[in-house]
Amino acid sequence: MRRLTTETDVTTEKIVATERPWNVVVWDDPVTPMSVVVVIFKRIFGYSNNKCTQLMLTVHNEGRAIVWSGQRERAESYCVKLQVAGLQSTIERDE
Amino acid sequence: MVGNKLFIRRRDGRIEVRLSDAGRAVAREAFGHVVAAERDPNHEWHAGLNAPIDPSSDDDDPVSTLNRQHEISTNAELAVMTLQDQFLNDAEAWAWLSTFQIALRSTVVANGLMSNEKLDACPSELLEYIRTLQQFLFALAECL
Repeated sequence: MRRLTTETDVTTEKIVATERPWNVVVWDDPVTPMSVVVVIFKRIFGYSNNKCTQLMLTVHNEGRAIVWSGQRERAESYCVKLQVAGLQSTIERDE
Repeated sequence: MVGNKLFIRRRDGRIEVRLSDAGRAVAREAFGHVVAAERDPNHEWHAGLNAPIDPSSDDDDPVSTLNRQHEISTNAELAVMTLQDQFLNDAEAWAWLSTFQIALRSTVVANGLMSNEKLDACPSELLEYIRTLQQFLFALAECL
């Protein structure tokens, strides 16, 4: 019995170790005011003002920014919240 | 300067709406379009409200898309219900901001204006509407 449990634990650890996180991506658009993007990030993620501003500038300068990474269900939930707030957002598997 | 602001955070925490009648008419039109677009699949904004969540997948999770639809409708309906109010609480102001932002993006997507060049070349009446929504959003974001 003990041996079986150990094998199961090892298998589970392997699955966890190889699972790649999901990224929430926000895309740039030519009309959304920068201050609105910062307010939305603060409201949804609770990040500091500095972090929100940095992320907003990454979106603006690079066309997109990864604003959160982790479990798929939470990534989907954050993506929906961003879309509800009117930002263009998608999820993608981390490379 | 204070007299020119469209929204003001008061000491009691409420947000005062200082839109003129014309401003409220623009807000009414924008909020009404979002409510209609969420309900009507043929509305020109409808596709913009149903953007993919996971573009690598053929279909998004129906629960997530239903949540999105529900939350957009709830915000837009709350915005419509408080349209004539002089003061908004935080939840109502958030509903206004979200609904203005959805109206702004939907207008741009529906008119194919997703670049600065196309935006600059669009008809002046449309550009004025877009700039008005941006002004509302900018002023409201300062209070939140």
